[in-house]
This record gives sequence, structure tokens and C-alpha cells, in this order.
Amino acid sequence: MVKAQRGKMKAQTLLALTLGCTMLLSACSGGNGNNASNGNTNASGSTGGEAASGEQVTLKVEVFDRGNSPAGSTITNNYLTKYVQDNFGTPNNIKVEFVPVPRSEEVQKLNVLMASGSDVPDIVFTYDSGTFYRYAQQGGLTDLSELLDQYGSNLKTFLGDDTLAYGQYEGQQFALPAKRAHLGKYSSFIRQDWLDKLGLPVPQTTDELYTTLKAFKEKDPGQTGGKVIPLGMSLAPAQFEPLLWSFIQPVTEEQRYTLTQQLGSNDYPILLPGFKDGLQFMNKLYNEGLMSTDFSLDEDKKKLNEDAAKGLVGFFSEDDMNPFYPDGLYATLQKNIPDAKLSAVDVYTDSEGKHPKPEYAPVGLYLMIPKSSKNAEAAVKYLDWMASGDNLLAIQNGVEGENYTLENGIPMAKADATDEIKNRIYNWGDMAIISNGKQLGETEKNVESYVVNMPEQFQDETRKALSVSRSDTIKPVLFDRPIEAQAKYGTALRDKLNEIVVKTTMVKPDQFESAYESMIKDYMAAGGQAILDERIKAYEEMKK
Amino acid sequence: MREQQASRTFDVVNTIAILFFVLLCLAPFLHILAISLSSARAIMSGEVSLLPVELNWKAYKQVFTDMSMIRSLGFTVVLTLIFTVLCMLMSIAAAYPLAKTKLKGRKAVMFLIVITMFFSGGIIPEYMLVRNLHLLDSIWALVLPGLISPFYLIILITFFQNIPDSLEESAEMDGSSHIRTLISIIVPLSMPVIATLSLFYAVGRWNGFQDTLMYITSPEMYPLQLKLYQLVQNNMVSELMQAEGATGQSMLQPEGLKAASVMFATVPILLVYPWLQRYFVSGVMLGAVKG
Amino acid sequence: MNLAVYLRRYWQLYALLVLPVCYFIVFKYAPMYGILIAFKDFNFFQGINGSEWIGFEAFKEVFAMKDFYKTLRNTLMLNFLDLLVSFPAPLFLAIMLYELKTAWFKKLSQTILYIPHFISWVIIGGIVYQVFGTQSGMINNIITSMGFEAIPFLTDKNDWLITYLAVGVWQSAGWGTIIYLAALTGINRELFEAADVDGAGRLRKIWSITLPSLKPTIVTLLIINLGHMIAIGFDRPFVIGNTAVRDYSDVLSTFVYRIGIESGQYTLATVVGLFQAVVGLVFVLGANYASKKLADQSIM
Repeated sequence: MVKAQRGKMKAQTLLALTLGCTMLLSACSGGNGNNASNGNTNASGSTGGEAASGEQVTLKVEVFDRGNSPAGSTITNNYLTKYVQDNFGTPNNIKVEFVPVPRSEEVQKLNVLMASGSDVPDIVFTYDSGTFYRYAQQGGLTDLSELLDQYGSNLKTFLGDDTLAYGQYEGQQFALPAKRAHLGKYSSFIRQDWLDKLGLPVPQTTDELYTTLKAFKEKDPGQTGGKVIPLGMSLAPAQFEPLLWSFIQPVTEEQRYTLTQQLGSNDYPILLPGFKDGLQFMNKLYNEGLMSTDFSLDEDKKKLNEDAAKGLVGFFSEDDMNPFYPDGLYATLQKNIPDAKLSAVDVYTDSEGKHPKPEYAPVGLYLMIPKSSKNAEAAVKYLDWMASGDNLLAIQNGVEGENYTLENGIPMAKADATDEIKNRIYNWGDMAIISNGKQLGETEKNVESYVVNMPEQFQDETRKALSVSRSDTIKPVLFDRPIEAQAKYGTALRDKLNEIVVKTTMVKPDQFESAYESMIKDYMAAGGQAILDERIKAYEEMKK
Repeated sequence: MREQQASRTFDVVNTIAILFFVLLCLAPFLHILAISLSSARAIMSGEVSLLPVELNWKAYKQVFTDMSMIRSLGFTVVLTLIFTVLCMLMSIAAAYPLAKTKLKGRKAVMFLIVITMFFSGGIIPEYMLVRNLHLLDSIWALVLPGLISPFYLIILITFFQNIPDSLEESAEMDGSSHIRTLISIIVPLSMPVIATLSLFYAVGRWNGFQDTLMYITSPEMYPLQLKLYQLVQNNMVSELMQAEGATGQSMLQPEGLKAASVMFATVPILLVYPWLQRYFVSGVMLGAVKG
Repeated sequence: MNLAVYLRRYWQLYALLVLPVCYFIVFKYAPMYGILIAFKDFNFFQGINGSEWIGFEAFKEVFAMKDFYKTLRNTLMLNFLDLLVSFPAPLFLAIMLYELKTAWFKKLSQTILYIPHFISWVIIGGIVYQVFGTQSGMINNIITSMGFEAIPFLTDKNDWLITYLAVGVWQSAGWGTIIYLAALTGINRELFEAADVDGAGRLRKIWSITLPSLKPTIVTLLIINLGHMIAIGFDRPFVIGNTAVRDYSDVLSTFVYRIGIESGQYTLATVVGLFQAVVGLVFVLGANYASKKLADQSIM
């Protein structure tokens, strides 16, 4: 008895001791974190003191790591990092250091870096507007308005007010959004050789498309042995968005602002009039066997690409020029079926005879300078340097005469350049952070630069596809304030949207109505209503 | 005679059943191998199943000439070795005392350990801890935080407890200290489970990359699985990726290269188990002693 | 026995425990203040200490979500099915392997059986799709060529459960055998010889010699498994699951990922984690207690 008692006491002492240690340790580490962030807050008050004194400043810049560095270079040490150091860093007595962040985990790693209070790069970025709003709302970012006026005149001109507006939070410039070179998003493609074989014209409207799809199914012009998929579908936005948006009826500005639901970075028409008709059309196509049966499994478009490359698919919509890349979908299709011909077309039509489809917001990455950064001035200078002179051209295209030649003001990559020279700019897209896509001063040129760098035999169709992607587009809705419900429920609702699309499409036609009702109810309860309410309020306040 | 007949039937059925399952397990591996040896066209058209189509070695040439892959393999091997050895030392040291049910304070320690199976501080405090210990961007950030898995520790304790007490008692009678008994009797008798847990730890470290995403920034210290993850994951199409537009598209890696990298990163660790199997026969001795 | 004598006799055992206990304190307990996030309105820039206390607000929010209950139910359902199917599978397989007589075939099959464990879930996902797809999946190609109707293995939620379990068994059974095979090396071969003399059949020997020798391992694994009834890995349900079967495939881990990690709401993620931890601890203590009573074996 006594022994047992003692054993118990000992156990308790041990437990107490351990817990004590734990508390002590956690207090230490917690305290450290706190001190660090306090220190940082103090320091940020005296921004830019050091640069003037002649001491070398170390500027830390985030860079995406995709694990695709060619032999001989690393993501933090390559031709472009050296170019930056030689042309920007050394002349300004700044040491530019790149901090790699894994591309696929960007938000999570950034969150941890931010929370740790130290080791945060001076320039960080994300594609996720929700993350930007969160940081801004929690007071972790430097207001850049003054710095931009002082050190960033080139940058300001380059980005322009439209783009800069996306980086504002409650009137303060907390982010500098990169400028997007080409806003077109979606185009559609049809097997021209199938149409020719059947003697059919290119469909001009959704109704005509339906007839064409039926003809593809019944007559099987590709001789697929019954495997024909008239409409290639997947669960990626590129396939279902163009179809659904074309069913949206003409709306007033107020409706557009209040009824649109922004989930993640994209606007969706879930509550706009006509959305249900779009779903019903998908339901019809699915139940008549005109659409990919397993589209609900295909979130990464792999199956769609495979089917299209095999020559089973008659018509599909895609990200603007995706099928035309070297060794891409079209190239593979032609290898499999030499006579195959893919045409870019604009088919889905709304009640006014237009071909509406969403376009990108005019922004790419959100560039941010954390409040804890002591080098905000150098950071803005860096971005300004990138926007001035030929620096962006050089980062995006390499060395004239070696990497590219200029033709009509458009840089043409030299096909005969050695791999070593080509590899210089292997990650130009991730280094030229102030721009998404190549910037040549005007949209036409930007677009043309995509065209001329595609394989020659596809250039005409690429040009057509890019022009389709830019016609009758719907601009994203931008409020003058963030909608908090969207940040909160956006990700969950985005999944719900997929569920709506899948379930209403796959049910038997007579169950469509009830499936739609219950799905929308579920959607509204899970946050859709909260977003709607907040948007209505925000619209009213904006109009005051 | 009937007994023998039945026994033979049992053997035949058993062998066939296992053979069936073996083929099921082998098929995906052959599929990946086939993809790594096929042409881009055949892969994209979905023609490759278990045999290569339009056989070529291009992907492997690319993997084996990529010095960063070779270096990464070397680093991963060193990391896995250090990790496994330290893990086993710690686990054995902890399991031996904890296997003794009469040890005072054992219950409290066990309770503390079991709690960590369920409660954890989460990603941010763990990052702060590694930073405060100045382990960031060093190999120790990948070794120390995972040294003892409570789950494996409990398994080891269970095995230790099943060693007959008589063995230890007789050793103690001979005046052997606890640590000597552990080294000279317990460990040799437990080689099968020690080999098993070493395999578990080694494989866990080899396949793990989540911590490297957080703790490692120098490309020289990227383990193979992280490089692999980047290759595979970067091709995923999510809406954030879509926002990249053409920027992301132009950086996609071919499927064949991915498959070749998977083979490159998987085959070395697959070879560990056949090698460890030699330790799975030492139980004969245990049986002898028991009898 | 007084303390001094006790310690003189057993100090080595305590010495062995010093480093492991330090490890648990430093690397496991020190970061545990992170649990406080569940009770705070977590702000990235204020840190855990600086963030504002909100009491049980976040708990209320989570417990008011419909999806929370749905994912909780699915987690328990999938884990329970796994316990019935995937838990015994490696045990059977290990015994089957143990009964193999040809040494080289035994070694070779062991090595091949554990391969699936090494294939990452992203890749398994792609393969599952090719095998189980409705339109052109391998299995359905066979089914339709025999004149039957295709089975929506991936898109009908009840059929999907079969797919989920089958893939789970396939992926983990071979790997799971390893620990049982290690335990089986402890069997005294003389017992089999004695049984032969008694004229016992193969199944009889498995039942009365092989299985009992595995009992301690089975019980330990079972207790730990019961403790994890409410925890579920992210990859398997996420990769095999899809939008059409979200009613079943949406589980706590995917729920946390969606509301907590992707949306940066660490408070909500921590709340769910804490809930899982408390329930898990209760389960494991209960299972431990029951096993002590029923099987005279426990992990604590």
C-alpha cells in the first residue's frame, strides 16, 4: 500500500516536473517570437536609414521554386539572379538574395514565414487574393503609396491605375499587383475535319452546336467505334465556365455587383439569372450521351487531353491557346491522326447573340512588402528598376542576338540557340514578378508575341484562339473594399460549386429540378447567403 | 494420407492467391516503368499500360545527367542513414525501461508519450522551435523533430515484453547490469523487430518531404522526394495555377520524365527490405531458448 | 525497499530514459502552446501570444457547421469499414506468406507486396482512375465487353466505398505484413512438430499456434487503431474521392484543409484538431482499459 502510494507520488512529481519544463520552454519560445516581432515593429519605423549611410543592404526577394532548374544552376543562383545583381544590386550597393518558396505550397510557407516574424523576405508575393487581403487586414503589410511616389515612378506608370486598384485595401496601397499582358481566358475548339466530312458548317450558336454534337454522336465521323465524345468536358473551369456563362441573361450593373460570387480569385455566376438554364443544358447533354461520362473525375484535364489527343473528342473549350504548345494536344493529335484539323471557334451564344466569357483580372502576382521589412525602400527601387528601360525585356527574353531577335518590335526566340543559352531564362516568368506574360507596350504586340513563339503550323489557329478569348468578355467585379465572407467561405464554396455542377449534370432529367433546389439551398447555407448579403451592403455603401 | 492431400490443396490455393495479389501489386509499378520508357506521344494518347510504347531512354538520360538529382540521392541516403540509426538508438533506449511493468513512474512516462500521439502544437510553433534551436536549413531540422515515433515505440515495447523474463533474470543473477543485459541479450533476440522498425523509420524519412518544404531552403539539401514532389505537383491544375496563365504552362514537365524520376527515387529504398530480410530468421534462437 | 536501494539497483533504466524524455519535452511538449490558437483570434503578425482571446467562440462556429457533422460521420464510417476490412487484411496475408514453403517465392512476394506503399498518392490517383473509371476504366471495359452494364465505381457513393476499401487494402496490406512477419519469427518451430505428431491439420495449426503468437502484436495495433478512429489521413480520401461522391469522401482532414489551411483560418483548423485529439485520447484510453480487462494486455 505504502509502496503503491509512493509510486503514485513519484509519478505525479514527474508529471509536474515535465509540465513545468514544458511551460518554461514554451514561455521562452513564445517570448522569443514576441520579442522578435516587437523588434521588427520598432525597426520598421526607421525605414531606409541604412541605405543612405553607404552600408551595403541585403534585399531578400521571394522566388518560386518549381524544381526545374537546369544543370549547372540553382533557383537562387543562375543567369537571371546574376543579371539582377550585376545590373541592379551592385550599382546600388545592394546585395540581392533570393529566398525560394515551393510553388505548390506558396501560401502555406508564406503563412509560416509571416507568423515566425523573422526570416521574412522583403518582397513576398502570392497569386491568392485572399491571402493578400488577410495580411492587409491583420496589419502585416507596408503601405506603399508614399514609397511608390518617391522611388517608383517608372513602376507606377508601368502598372497603371487599373492594376494598382487591385492592390488597395481600405484606401491604402498594400500590394503592387503584377500587370497581366493578356486578359483573354477561354477559347473553344472543334474538329474541322469532322465537320468537313459530314458537310456541316461551323456552328454559330449554342443551338447549332447541339445539332452538330448530335451529328458527331450519330455519324461518328472519326470512326472511333462508338467511343466518340462529342463534347469534351472536365471539372476544370476552362471546360464548364464558357458554357455556363453563355446562359447568363443580360444583367444590370447592380445585379452584376451583388449577385456575382467571387470564390478564390475567380467570379462565378451561381446566383445570376440563367445559371440554372446552363446547368439544365449540361444535364441534357450528359443524359443524351453527348458529353464525357467521367468528367466529374477529371479535375486536372488529363483525361480530356488524352481523349482529345486520341481523336475521340469533337468539340471542347480550353484555356486560350493550350492545345497549340509544342508536343501539346494538337501536335499529338496530328501524330495519331495525320488528317485531324482543330479549329478555334466561338460558339456558345447568349440571348443577345454575343459570346460572353470571363476574362482575367488585369493582375498577376500580388507583390507585398511585410511591415517587418527594414528594406522597403530598396524593395520598391528593385521593382522600379525592373519596370524601367529594357530591363524587363532582358529578364523575359534574354540577350538580343543570342536568345532572340526583334521583329516588328516583337522578340522572336531563336530556335537554333544552344540549350545553355536557352536555359539562361528558364524561369523568366517567376523572375519578372511585375508582369504576367510578356510586356511589349501594347496588348496587340503582347498577344502576337505568344503567336510567333508557337510552332509555325499552329500560328494562325493560335492567333484565332487568342482573339476568341478576348471577344465579348466579362470583366471581374472589383469592389472598393474586400468582401470578408468571400475570404472566409470562398474555398469551401468553390468545392460546393463543383458539387452543384456535377450533381445537377449527372442526375436523370426528371430529378434535375429537385437536385438543383437542394444543392443551391446547401450552397446558400454554407456561406453563399453571407456573401450575397455582404455584397449588397458593400454595393449600397459604394453608391452613396 | 488424407491429411497430406488436404495440406497440398492448401499449398496450391495459398500460392495462387498470393501470386494473384503479387501481380496486382506489381502492375502499377510496371505501368510507371513503362511510361518512363515510352514516347511523349504514346503517353499523352493514353496508349501505355504495362509495356513501353515506342521505347526510348531519353527520360533516364535526362535524370542521370542531372547532377542535382545525383547529389540529392546522395544527400537522401546520408539523411536516411543518420536518421534511422539515431531513431533506433533512442527508441531502444526508451523501450527497454518502459517494457518493465514494475518500473516506478513508468505509467506517467507512458501517458506523456501517448498524449503526443494525439496532441501537437501545429505547424507554426514547430517552425518557431526549429528556428529558435537554430536548426533551420540544416540536416538536423530533418532528423531531430522526428526521432521517436510513439507508435513504433509502443510496438517495440510490446515485443520486448514478450521476451521471457527468465532470460533476463538469469543474466542478472550472473551480475550483468541492465544496460549490458539490453545489449547482449535483448537486442540480439529482437533483431527481427529492430530490422522492421529500422525499415519503418528509414522508409518514413525517405518518403517524407513535408518538413523539408518548411525547414530547408538550400537546394543542396533537397531530398529526392521533394524534387519528385515538385515535378509531380507542379503539373496539377488548380485555380491558383490557372492564374499563372501561359507562365505556368511553359514550365510543365513531360510525363515521361516524371515517371523516370519516380523510378529513380523509389528503387533504392525498395532494395532495403530484401536486404533486411536476413534478420527475419533469427527467431529460431528465441524459439530454442523458449523451449 | 527504500528509495536509495531502489535507485542504486535501477538507475541505469532511468538513465536510459533521460534522452528520450527530453526529446518528448523539447520537440513535442514545448510547441504545444500552439493549442492556444484554438482559443484565440489568430493574427499572423501578432503571433500566438499577441492574438486576442476569444474563448470558445471558434468552437461554437465549428460546431454550428453542417459540414463538420457530415465529415465527422464520414470519418468514423470510413475508419470503421477500414477496421473491418483493412485491419485484418495484412494479418491474413502474413499468415499466408508464413505458410509458403518455397523460400525464394516467399522472399520475392514479400518484396513485391510492399511496393504499393512506395507509390505516392498523386500517382495512385491517376492509376485508380484508369482502372476504375466508368467510361474507359480497365475493369469496366471487361464488364461491358461481356455485355453487362458499366459499374460507376468512382461516381456512385456506395460503389465508391468498395473502391476506397479495395485501394486501401491494396496499398497497405503488404506493408502491414512486415510487422506480423517479424512477430512470427518468434514462434518455436518445435510446437509445429509436436502438432504434427498429434495429427493436426494446417488450419488447426494456424488457429492454435500461429495466431496466438501474434496476439500481443494484434492487440497493440488494435488499441492504437481504435485511438485513431477519428483521425484520418488526408491523401487517400482526397485522391480517391471526387466531387460526385463528396457525400462520403469528405472527411475531417479534407474539411480542415479547406476551411483552415487553404483559407488561412488557423483557429478553426486548431479547434478541429483539438477536438480530434481529445476524442482520440478518450478512445485509446478506453481501448487500453478494455484490453487490460479482456486480454490482460495493455500499452500503458
